[in-house]
Amino acid sequence: MNKKLLYIVVPVLVLILIAGSLFSWYINARNQLVYLEENIDASWAEVDNQLQRRSDLIPNIVSTVKGFASQEKEVFTNIANARAKLAGAATVSEKAEGANQMESALSRLLVVVENYPQLKSDQNFIRLQDELAGTENRLAVARKRYNDGVKIFNAKIRMFPSSIIAGNMGLEKKPYFEVSDAAKEAPKVNFGS
Amino acid sequence: MKTSGNKINIFLLLLILALPAYISAQIPKSSGFVTDLAGVINSSDKEMIEAAAAEIRDKTGAEIAVLTVKTIEPYASIEEFALETASEWGIGEKGKDNGVLIAVSTGERKLRIEVGYGLEGAIPDGLAGSIMDDYMIPYLRNNDYSSGLKTGFIAVASIVAKEYNIEIEGSSYRESIQSMQTQRNRSGDSGGGLSIIFVLFVLFISGGRIFWPLLFLSAMSGRRGYGGGFGSSFGRGGGFSGGGGFSGGFGGGGFGGGGASRGF
Repeated sequence: MNKKLLYIVVPVLVLILIAGSLFSWYINARNQLVYLEENIDASWAEVDNQLQRRSDLIPNIVSTVKGFASQEKEVFTNIANARAKLAGAATVSEKAEGANQMESALSRLLVVVENYPQLKSDQNFIRLQDELAGTENRLAVARKRYNDGVKIFNAKIRMFPSSIIAGNMGLEKKPYFEVSDAAKEAPKVNFGS
Repeated sequence: MKTSGNKINIFLLLLILALPAYISAQIPKSSGFVTDLAGVINSSDKEMIEAAAAEIRDKTGAEIAVLTVKTIEPYASIEEFALETASEWGIGEKGKDNGVLIAVSTGERKLRIEVGYGLEGAIPDGLAGSIMDDYMIPYLRNNDYSSGLKTGFIAVASIVAKEYNIEIEGSSYRESIQSMQTQRNRSGDSGGGLSIIFVLFVLFISGGRIFWPLLFLSAMSGRRGYGGGFGSSFGRGGGFSGGGGFSGGFGGGGFGGGGASRGF
């Protein structure tokens, strides 16, 4: 007697259930993508923040080193150039490039410092070096967190089925903050001149 | 030319941290505010640190942890090791990130003070470096780990106490400070000129935010004027309020790589 009714009600219920779970999956996946993207923006802000902090430290370091080693003009020029480049950088890859250039310039500076025992033992310089080391450390941490976020995000927007939603939302792959090989290498000591 | 034998740690740091080395390392298990895996801290210093750390946590929410290990392996650097450990333990309050980890490896002879986001203003990297240079390294060089960690902890603890405007009343803590003072008085001066430059410098970079801790430091390392040095940091009378001890783990604070490192 009720059987006919059941034949109608059950499929409808099942359909509603399926539609409902599809819908909630959609919402979840969409929210997750939004979250991941926000997360990347936040970790990028931290990278930017640390880059800025380093740039702010550099005039102090340069003036301290200049007090002991004013003849090392090339080093100071390189640092100034890298700093200017970084200041003018807008995109992630430009910033990464500027940051890498800055890292090579700074590591060159630290090699030069080895020639000046007085500078090395200068208390002011030791503190500045701590600040610089700390900033480099924070930058490395921030960079790693940013890149980790990008990795997850990029994978997510390309993997099925979340790729469909990402397509709808118009999400695109995010660039990594690359560390150049040059910056990873040990600075070359110039034997000439 | 020069082989630059003693490479500067910044550069090493860059190299090490730039490597995308993924290490599925085991992080040491915390056993409270003091985790002495190398077995170098004597029991009275351990108790003092634990009591004071518990008191600070009860009053401010900030957490200071001390860790000794025999080796940082498989981590490549003390920076990486300390960051991973501090983050994993979650030292400090969640959201406030006001934790500090003082980590020593007896094998590599490396020392690091890792500072959570929330205390980076109170303990900038230069100050962390200075605490190690002035209060820890001299002891650690002689393998007196217990004293080095004790005085380093006290330096950090007084700065945190000043930052939160509290007084540490624990009797063992106060006794330790008093014995440090008499020792200092006996051994005469140690780098009095340093502290002035340092005060000026840190004031300059921090915009005056950490004035109080510096008074503490300069009083400690200065040639004269011991009278007021620590006096201001503890009140008269008033016994130890019986801190809750270590229970339920750390608060879940985050770290971003602030602090400083030294070899010794």
